[in-house]
Order: sequence, then structure tokens, then C-alpha cells
Amino acid sequence: MSSAKFLRLVTSSYIILFFAYLFGPLIVMSITAFNSAAFPRLSPWDCFSTEWFGVLVNDARMMGGFKNSLIIGISVVFVSVPMGLAGALMLGQLSNRVRPVFYTVTISTILVPGVVLGISTLIFWDRMGMMFNAGYDSIFYDGIVLTIIGQSTFISAYTMLVFISRLQRFDPVLEEAALDLGATNIQTFRKILLPFLKPAIGSAAVLAFLASFENYNTTVFTIVSESTLTTVLASKVRYGINPSISALAVIIIGLTITAALIHEVLKRREQAREIALKKEGQVGNVKTLSRTAFRKPVTLMVLLIFVAGLSTVWMARAYDVNQCKIEVSEEKRKKQEELSKKRLLEMQKRLESQEAASANGSDSKSSKTAPGTDQYGSIFAPTNLEGQVESTEDQKENSKTPKNQYQNIFAPTNLEGQVESIEEKTEASKTPKNQYQNIFAPVNLEGQVKSEKE
Amino acid sequence: MRLWLKKFFLRNGIVLSLYMLLVTFIWIVVMFVLPQIFMFDFSFRFNWTQIDPSKIGSPEDIYTLQHYKFLLFGSPNNPDPLNIVDVTVFGRTILAAIFVTLFDVILCYPVAYYLAHVAKGSITRLMMLSLVVPFWINELLRAFAFRILFGEEGTINNILLFLGVLNQPIDFVRENIALYTGLGYAYILLMIFPIYNAVESLDRNQIEAARDLGSPWWRIHWRVVIPFAKPGITSGCTMVFMLSAGALALPQIIGGPSSLWFTQIIYQWFNTGSNWPRGSAYAVSLMVICVILVLLIMKIFKVKFGEIGR
Repeated sequence: MSSAKFLRLVTSSYIILFFAYLFGPLIVMSITAFNSAAFPRLSPWDCFSTEWFGVLVNDARMMGGFKNSLIIGISVVFVSVPMGLAGALMLGQLSNRVRPVFYTVTISTILVPGVVLGISTLIFWDRMGMMFNAGYDSIFYDGIVLTIIGQSTFISAYTMLVFISRLQRFDPVLEEAALDLGATNIQTFRKILLPFLKPAIGSAAVLAFLASFENYNTTVFTIVSESTLTTVLASKVRYGINPSISALAVIIIGLTITAALIHEVLKRREQAREIALKKEGQVGNVKTLSRTAFRKPVTLMVLLIFVAGLSTVWMARAYDVNQCKIEVSEEKRKKQEELSKKRLLEMQKRLESQEAASANGSDSKSSKTAPGTDQYGSIFAPTNLEGQVESTEDQKENSKTPKNQYQNIFAPTNLEGQVESIEEKTEASKTPKNQYQNIFAPVNLEGQVKSEKE
Repeated sequence: MRLWLKKFFLRNGIVLSLYMLLVTFIWIVVMFVLPQIFMFDFSFRFNWTQIDPSKIGSPEDIYTLQHYKFLLFGSPNNPDPLNIVDVTVFGRTILAAIFVTLFDVILCYPVAYYLAHVAKGSITRLMMLSLVVPFWINELLRAFAFRILFGEEGTINNILLFLGVLNQPIDFVRENIALYTGLGYAYILLMIFPIYNAVESLDRNQIEAARDLGSPWWRIHWRVVIPFAKPGITSGCTMVFMLSAGALALPQIIGGPSSLWFTQIIYQWFNTGSNWPRGSAYAVSLMVICVILVLLIMKIFKVKFGEIGR
């Protein structure tokens, strides 16, 4: 029995790990959207801020792409839903010999790599355009139209699969009865088949829109000179990333979860209705039962999301981002200062002890020194300094520091390192101006100008 | 054929019949089959559009094998016997796609089985829903998420450094670990659902019977569940393999700098290379090899094409 228990433990931990793999990346990405650091990251957490959403909304290219994606998505819905429906109806009426062939061809639109679909669509319409001697501003070269065509090719197969699974439960007797009672074909289609397919039409539309919205492989070829959200994203992600993309992800994840939940609720309501229809006489009873049953996990999830959203808004209101940013940069500056002070102290101590040692005798000198540096009698200076400066922070460009080997110039090298790190790590403008000599002023100003530009 | 058409029109009426015939014709022939044929044809032509557009359709516009030759042997003054860059990229893409597929089968089979036979009622629904959600997040955003996770100063490196497992960050991107995990992640759903559909229809009594006869759990899976789920597994594998071999966004964003994906080469011929015929020749080669591999696998596992996508 203990082995069975062990097995169960292994299974459930596997399932938990699996879902961690599934959601971990999305959760991490969503959290980075709220970090004020310029690079999307979790661990050196700077400040909670919602500024990246503002950056996203003000990004004209992204918004233009978003608009195109919406247009394409909606058009794809209107093209691919009727196509998928026609395909599904057709499949049901083909002879047994032709049906597998038809099915294979339609399914291969999904299996063919999206890249190939995009290329073939592009080439085909390019050739067509050439055949009709159309200009480059005609339909044949319009990126949006081409993208709608290219995407619909395989998205129609998705919608077809949705319709097929729904049609399998359709009772053809209903149709025959309607025809027998004198309805025309179109009437039967409109009054019997379409109402039956209504939920499937809804699912197919949602599916088609989402598939179109997230498509990249086909779009990148067919879009020509236009841009969609995904192509803009791709170029952004390739050349330097910032958390405004995470902010977009947060929005899309939120919308997707909402859409999925709505879809789920509708589907369950439909199922409940069907069950109720089957068990005639107990209609009311069954309905209430199933309603309470399906609402439990779903409502819980909706509530959770709602609470999370509310608390985020609350937190954002209760607290001032700029204040926090100043604090963080101040903190960093202090840390640096402390470090450099410590270093200076250590340096002085060592100097003193060294001087004492050299006064006592020069026996310790020869043991440690690197050749060429012993002319000053201070063995420690170059080598020690180098090691220390490098270890302060992750500054790799510090190779220039050990060029001054004299004891009284220790301070500047350290300070140089400091300025660089401040400039790099924080865009906050309030760096100390008068604490050090005027060397700092220009550098700080430069940093300020940069941050204002951004 | 004529008889069938007559019956078809009689059954559906003129308007509906015309709608169905016309729309499926546009979809299958105009939107899918013809473009494929044109692309195939185009891959055998010279790159006139770039050199001299007026020659298109002239007697000089003949068929050529030069683009396929280029893929195999490189340019004529290539000293090597083969076009080493492209051929290795091609081989590596196929191998990596197979690897990703296997990874997904192993990862998803237990989950699909759990969903079908262990989890109950509302938990199953919730799990299904949570499977679907990540799938509908934009592919690029998923790639972006993996970049945050696997970057040199990414979350995973930071955690490992913090725990003291590492003392130096690993470059996951250069090692292609990020790419493989990302690809595996992207197609989880396409693997789980076919397997789930297949496993779900298995009669629980069969499992019970095997257990009663003293079979250990792994043999139940090996001898009862997996043979039954074979069509589902094959159809999942087909989809994952085709899609990961044809992936473009993920390799572009989280692929290592030194290792290209074959689709990236195709993309380059189209965009920066401005050699469409060569790009289509590459695309045709990729598709043909993939289809051959898939058909081979189906033949080996004796699964029919009609069982895919259900």
C-alpha cells in the first residue's frame, strides 16, 4: 500500500511541476511588467510601478500594429467561419471514397509549416498580379488582404474541426422532418441547422480570432510592407527589450483568461441545457443543479483574478513611484559610498602598516611584488587596487584603473567606478553633485539628459 | 460524379449547394493547392524579378535546378563537396524537431493519462482550461518570457546563483536550452489533446483487468494503454514535429547566435537575400522532407492520416 501512496505522491508532484512549467514563464513575465527597472527582470527588484503600461500605450508603432491585427483578426473570423462551415457540411455529404482525401487535404493546411503557407500565398498573388498587370498598390500586393487570405487558409481548418465535432451530434431526422413539413432548404438551414450550430459558431469565431491574432509565421511573409502587432513585437524583441512588452503580455494574458472563462461558462450552460432537454420533465431541477456545479471553480478563479486586479490598483494608488525610485537610487548611491569609504579606510590602514613594515626592513617587499612595480616601495598598490575595483560591482570596463600607481590617487579611480555604475544602473536624476569635486557635474548632466530623452 | 452532384443539389437546394461548392473550392483550390503548385513551379525558375523583370515569360525564362543545387552543393566556386552551412542547419533543424517531439511525448503522456483517468469532474475542466490559456498567448510573448527566464541575468540564473548551485551564470541561449524548452512549451497542447482523446475512450475495465491479473503499473501502460493510444500519440507527434520544424519566431528570438533554424535561412532569402525562387526551393525541400518523415512514421506505427486532428 505504501508503494501505491508513493506512486500517487509522485504523480501529483509531477502534475504540479508540469503546471509550474506551463505557468511559471507567464507569471514571471507578468511580474516583470511592474518592475521599474529598464530591463525586464525579477531579482534586483527596484520599484513597483505601472509606468510601462504608459510606455506601451504611447508606442505609436505598437498601437498601429495592434490596429492592423484587430482588422485582420475580425476579417479572418468572417472569412474562415463560413469556409469551415462549408467544409464541414461538405465532408458529411461526400461519398466514402472521396471523404478521406478531402479530409487529408483540409487537415494538411494545418500541418504545412506556416512559413510555407505564407510564402506560397505571397508568390501566388504576386504572379496573379503580374498576370493581370496590376500595379503595386492593388489588392494583389496589399499586405493586409494577403495576410487575411494566408491566415484563413489554415484557420478555416480549425473552424472546420469545431463544426465537425458539433455536427456529429446533429440528428438528421430533424432536418428531414422540416423538409417533410414543407420547409424550403434555406429555411431548414436557417431554422434548424444554424440554431443547432450556434455555440459552435461562437467557439469557432473565438478560436479563429485568437489564432489570427497570435500568428507570426505566415504573417511575417504575407504582410509585405505593413505591420501587425506580432511583427512589431518580433522586431522589438530582437533589438533590445524593455518591460513594456511584459506589460502587453499582462494585458493579453488577462484578455485570454477572460475569453477562456466566458467560453467555458457558455459551453457549460449549453451542455446543461442539452442534459435538461434529454431528461424531459426535470428541466428546472437539472438546470439549477448544474448551475451550482459549474460555477464553483470558475467563479473562484474569476474572484481571484478580480481580487488580484483590485489589490494591484489599490497598491498603485497608495504609493508614489517616483519617491520609491529616488529612494532606490539613493540606497544604491549610499551602498557605493560605503563601499568606497571602506575601501579607502582599508587602503589607508594597509598603507600605514606597509609604511611601518618598510621602515622596519625591506624583507617583506620582495616576496609579494610583481616585477616592475617595486620602484615605489609600495608593493600593494597596483595589484591590490586592481582586484578590489573589479570586485566592487560588475564593472568590466575598469581595466584602465591601475594606470596610476601612486598612493594619493586611489580615491579618483574608485570614484570613477562609482559614477559609471550610477549612470548605468539608475536613470534617477538626483545624484550627488556637490559631495565630490566638480568632475562629476558633466557626467551627471549627461545621464540626466539621457533619462529625459527616454 | 454527375449523379452525386444531382443528389447533392436535390438535397441542399441551389443556393446552399452553390455556397458549399464555391466556398470549399475557393478554400481548397484557390487558397491552398494552387499557391502550393505555384510555389513549387517558382522554385525551378531563375531569379528574374531581381535581375531583369522584363525577361519573365520570355524564351529565356526556363526551368532550372540551380536553387536545389545551391542548397546541396553551394555556389559553383564552393570548395567543399557540399553546402555545409545549409545542409547542417537543415539536418540540425530536423533532429532538433524530433528531439522536441520526443520531449513532448514523454512530458505530456502522463498528464494526458491523468486528465483522462485519474482527475475528476471540475478539476479536469479547470486543468483543461489552464492548458488552453498559455497556448493562446502570443508565440512571441512566450518567447519573450523564456528570454526573461533564461537570459544571462535571467531569473533561472539568478536563482541558481543565489542557491549556490552555480558560481557563474550559464548562457542558456547559446547552449540552445532556452530554444528547446521554449519549443517544447509551445506545442504542449497539440500533444496533450490527441493523446487525451485517445486514452479517454479506453475502457477502464481493461486497466482493472490487467491490474487484477497482477500486472504492475508500468506494464499496464506499456501493454494496454499505450497501444490503445497509439493513433493519438502519432497524431500529436505529427503536429508537434511539423510545427516545430516550421517554427520561426522562437528560433529568431531565443535561438543561439551560432545556430540557425532552417526557416531562418528561408526567411533570409526572402527578406535580405531578395531571392524568392531560392527561398521557395528551400521551403519546398523542408516541406517534402518533413512530409516524407511523417508518412514514414505513420507507416511504421500503422496509423492512417484520417485519424489526425480529431
